Amino acid sequence: MKELTQKQFFNFLFNNGIENFIGVPDSTMKHFIDEGFKKNKIIITTREEEAIGIAAGMSLSKSYSLVFMQNAGFANSLSTITSLVQLYQIPMIFLIGWRGFLKNDAPEHTKIGKIQPKLLQALSLQSKILNEKNWKASCHWALKLIKGQKPCALILKRDFID
Amino acid sequence: MIRKEAITIAVEKINNQPIVSANGFISRDLFEVCDKNSNFYMIGSMGLASSIGLGVALKNTKKTIFVFDGDGNILMNLGSLITIGITKPKNLVHIVFDNSSHESTGGQLTATNKIQLSKIAKSANYKVFQAKTKNQLVKIFQKIKFIPGPIMVIVKIEKGRVVSKRINMEPTKIKNRFMDSLKK
Repeated sequence: MKELTQKQFFNFLFNNGIENFIGVPDSTMKHFIDEGFKKNKIIITTREEEAIGIAAGMSLSKSYSLVFMQNAGFANSLSTITSLVQLYQIPMIFLIGWRGFLKNDAPEHTKIGKIQPKLLQALSLQSKILNEKNWKASCHWALKLIKGQKPCALILKRDFID
Repeated sequence: MIRKEAITIAVEKINNQPIVSANGFISRDLFEVCDKNSNFYMIGSMGLASSIGLGVALKNTKKTIFVFDGDGNILMNLGSLITIGITKPKNLVHIVFDNSSHESTGGQLTATNKIQLSKIAKSANYKVFQAKTKNQLVKIFQKIKFIPGPIMVIVKIEKGRVVSKRINMEPTKIKNRFMDSLKK
């Protein structure tokens, strides 16, 4: 996703009730995170599970959060998602950078990138893959879900190689 | 002092302020000693009680939030100390009931008898207090009332002997009543 779109994407969520942006950085969403830093709304954690825990505490206080991470970090978080987020039905939006989407991405991303859609499916975590055209509609979809107390995921494809 | 005795003293001092308690025997003891709407029993997601407590603390600055943690739990999520240390919630009291063992899983030893958790917490900007007796624990509660957090209270407890009943409450009920208690 382009730099400008990522900034618009952040501001759209920020202006529509998402108060906290917590997670572990991923280069796929660099500009999204940078925009959050400008607004002083980012908390960087040491691991993804920790970010989910903090977001859960904030959600219990009726303050909605987005948790950002790379798909490798999403894999780290499976047990936290099932035994905290889904067990207690705590709403939050996951923003997941999808490494390994391109076949020639770095080798450590190949396997996990391949099973990323299956992991979401196995968890029954509702998700949408973002692009330049659908991002705003996908945000509306996610905001509606979390206001109905349901967690969901937005996926950002890594469509460039550095 | 066993954990249940330490928890009994703590809940009396904490009264109706929110408590986020770690999974395993800690939540079970708290449930049996003093079940309240303002208790959030974390039954899964091992290690994350202090992270959940941080989230609650950052959003409820007029309340003091207490985390009931265990040594095994916090050792799984030492990164949480770093994040608490940089966000510096003044209203967070992190109580670690330390028996140097994973008691809920059969009493396997943890490293807190060899590595000092107090030193790690201090370098992560916590103010740290340690209690080995009931009397010391009571005195610490009097002291920390006037000190801004983040505060860690390490309570050395003996292993074993008493196992409390399981929490027989739906997780969504635990959540809903905790959320209602935060509004008051």
